[in-house]
Amino acid sequence: MPGIDESLLEAMRLPGARGASLVDWISGLALGAVGEAPGGDWEATAAETAELARHVAESGSLAAAGAGPAGSARPAVPAAAPAVAPEEEPPVEDMIATTADAYHLIRFVSTPFDSTVFLHLWLDRNDGNLALARIRLSEMADRLVLG
Amino acid sequence: MTRVTTTWTTHETTSAALGALAAEGATGALSGERGIVYLAAGRVVHVESAFTPDLGALLTRSGAVAADGWWDAVDRGGRQARVGHRLVDSGRLAAGALEVCHLGALFDAAYFVLAHDTRAHRFRPGAVHWLGAVRSVPVDVVVRECGRRRALLDRIWPDPDIDTVPLTRVPDAGAAALPVRRGRTLTQVDGVRTASQIASALACRTYHTLVELRRLAADGLVTAAPPAPASVAPGPSPRDVVWDDPDTALLRRLRDALEAL
Repeated sequence: MPGIDESLLEAMRLPGARGASLVDWISGLALGAVGEAPGGDWEATAAETAELARHVAESGSLAAAGAGPAGSARPAVPAAAPAVAPEEEPPVEDMIATTADAYHLIRFVSTPFDSTVFLHLWLDRNDGNLALARIRLSEMADRLVLG
Repeated sequence: MTRVTTTWTTHETTSAALGALAAEGATGALSGERGIVYLAAGRVVHVESAFTPDLGALLTRSGAVAADGWWDAVDRGGRQARVGHRLVDSGRLAAGALEVCHLGALFDAAYFVLAHDTRAHRFRPGAVHWLGAVRSVPVDVVVRECGRRRALLDRIWPDPDIDTVPLTRVPDAGAAALPVRRGRTLTQVDGVRTASQIASALACRTYHTLVELRRLAADGLVTAAPPAPASVAPGPSPRDVVWDDPDTALLRRLRDALEAL
């Protein structure tokens, strides 16, 4: 059963992987990081990508089409509900940014308790395989939380 | 256990005391006004604060771990300080999930311990938390992160009162289409509860609740509740309402102390 470091090291075994981290998208904290940091500083990278991820995670427009439980959970009618497991969020699964020489793949991790984290994989554009990385990162996100 | 050579007491702030203890590679528990920081070999392994839900509250009240399962792990693993391992070994929680939740709780509590960075009260050398080793974090990373979190809150809405006083909704303010977390937080604002009570009710980390509340305040949806008139009918004071976490934390510590006898 992989912990954070094992999951990140597994991500680094993907062809073309340059750096991988697990980041909280509300606080901007890097819970773990391996390999090279894009921009040279993991803390700064985490804070920046967290802000980007937060906007996407909170976007009403991106998740609007076929919005399932997350859309219907939008509390137009406030209910005095007890603690709710935040498993339905965020509505977006992943996001990809492409630069001249790299891909940034950000995969939201869904947990049965309160956490707001994503996996960030920095992938070389020549050596990396984006489709493969996307599938693998999704599997890693599940294994990290479910074992 | 650990020989402490310099005196952490000479430092005016908890963060400076932590720095000195880290430099010594100390193991033990440093108590401050708002919580306790556990060190192992100079690194932070756990932090507790009455202002934040602990790991057990985050896991059980969200339904991630059944309460029976949690207490079984505490019963079987508490004495050897291996509760975290018990949870994973018994298949109740994945190793990664434990680490993510533990780090979430650690940094959440640390924020409150260091938010008012006053002089630390005492250090118990050799004290070990019953949760046991999960992940450790360098002291300077924790201190830097807490400063960054403070700055983030102030960028959102520079009113620290929102973090501590009872909160109320702004009448007639339209709250259409809020993001899920923010909307859920808003439903708990009732004119009585404080941010940490709202976090407890939602089984959410308190800092992350503060972020949502400051955004709600910036949007003009939430504000500090006016102080209750002094002569209201007798009833529970705000402090007595829905806020049982400090008591459970105390009971748990008491039980651990008794078991250790």
